[in-house]
Amino acid sequence: MQVAISVVLVTILLVLAGSVTAQSVRPPGDAVNLEDSTTLGPSNALGNLSDSDIWRDFRGGDPVNIDDIIRGPIEGQMMTRSGQLWREIREDYIRKYAGWFPVGVIAILALFYLIRGKMRIKGGLSGKTIARFNLNQRVAHWFMASIFILLAISGLIILLGRPVILPLLGPQANAIMTSAAMQGHNLFGPLFVVALLWMFIKFIRGNFFQIVDFKWIFKLGGMFGGHVSSRQFNFGEKTWFWMVILIGLVMSATGIALEFPWLFEDLRILQASTILHAVGAIALISVSIGHIYIGTIGMEGSLDSMLKGEVDENWAKEHHDLWYEEVTGKSATEVTKEESGS
Amino acid sequence: MSYIEFVEGPLFLIAATIFVLGALWRVIGIIRIGRKKDISPPKGSEAIGFIRGNLRHFLPRGIFARRTWVHIVGGYGFHLGLLALILFAAPHIVFIDARLFAVPWPPLPRWGFIIAADIAFAGLIVLWVRRISDPVMRLISDWDDHIGSWLTFLVMFTGCLALQESHVFLRATHMLFVDIWLIYFPFSRLMHAFTFFLSRGNTGATYGRKGMSL
Repeated sequence: MQVAISVVLVTILLVLAGSVTAQSVRPPGDAVNLEDSTTLGPSNALGNLSDSDIWRDFRGGDPVNIDDIIRGPIEGQMMTRSGQLWREIREDYIRKYAGWFPVGVIAILALFYLIRGKMRIKGGLSGKTIARFNLNQRVAHWFMASIFILLAISGLIILLGRPVILPLLGPQANAIMTSAAMQGHNLFGPLFVVALLWMFIKFIRGNFFQIVDFKWIFKLGGMFGGHVSSRQFNFGEKTWFWMVILIGLVMSATGIALEFPWLFEDLRILQASTILHAVGAIALISVSIGHIYIGTIGMEGSLDSMLKGEVDENWAKEHHDLWYEEVTGKSATEVTKEESGS
Repeated sequence: MSYIEFVEGPLFLIAATIFVLGALWRVIGIIRIGRKKDISPPKGSEAIGFIRGNLRHFLPRGIFARRTWVHIVGGYGFHLGLLALILFAAPHIVFIDARLFAVPWPPLPRWGFIIAADIAFAGLIVLWVRRISDPVMRLISDWDDHIGSWLTFLVMFTGCLALQESHVFLRATHMLFVDIWLIYFPFSRLMHAFTFFLSRGNTGATYGRKGMSL
């Protein structure tokens, strides 16, 4: 019985609601006269086309040919969708967040240094050294480092000048710094390709991944204690090497596209190049900060390998024991009579 | 007087005067010292030895060439690149035309400038990196070598940053480093640009007189 009463009440309510709704959408009086739009009120205010049709016509052929765009606007082609998407990615994501990655890495490393301190050689310096990198390898490394630093600084100024430098130093300083950075970046860009090739030739040997690298990963490189074996290069160094080579290749290809835009006809190649170039640069800069940290203040004795080409034997035993055994023919764990003091 | 007027005007005049007089003073001084009198009978020509000594040192010895190829390529790249930039860069030709004399040769096109600058920078960086990486080079290098390298780098670097020629400040900063470089030049090992032929020639003349082949 209660169910029947409920059904009847709901039906009545729905009928009433329907009639009210129907009345409320009906235009009052002659506010809209579909027959004569010129004499009575703002009829046909939305036109005969939908928004979709208007915008479809507006963007026309969606030009992507650079030559066409440079020559001037073409009839029926008023905007580029890919350009709008590129602008949004660049402004809303890259420029907004890119700078925080290097800053974040610096903050993490500072915190790590405060907690862990400098990684000392457990047995102390032995005073005996072994050769690690020859002169050509060291020159190739520092050549790349010099070019990389110049490109990183100039690139960051170009990318983050407007959101960072402009509010801090004003438009005049930003204009001068950006102009200078652009010239410097374009000039040193080709040298990066040379440096990359040189690095690849000089360091490819020993940088292929091996089974021993898995142990290194499981022990997190020994950062939180415990010994990890490795050959001349550990997993972290190998990963950094391949990051530099592979991302460097992307940076080189996109950099060439941006420096010589007339080589390409399709605007989307240049748009994609700027995005990839910026993302790759931020990745390399962020990781390079970690590389610089571990090579200088983070680990005792590591800088000598690239400055002098030699490392302390105890450093080699602790961080690259398999490599130490390979080049010296001695055991990395065996304590000699001289070391034991007897 | 504005920044640019100062560095391109009175400061440039002072720097150029110090450069010319200082370099002349050094070269004439070296020539005036002369050579120690050799009373032994000559077995060959000193003059020919002087010329041969200069020419022979442009090429590395076979046994050293392989070990020092980076140094050789870097050295030639830097010096030739720098020479091309100084003499053929379009802004330099305009500057020399306006202040010194009418330059009879045409400027480098922009792509030529970029190639010359890249080669010069690559060479300079390689030479400096070798200076700090090689144990022997590190040992025999002093502040003068490093200041000379860095000043030259800064002159080239600021010049390239001003390449767009859209901001007077960048051009003035380049000129400021040029002025400092010109003043430092005669009193440093940068003078090797003018004295290298004397030292090579001296060695060659000594060998030539003794009848030794280089």
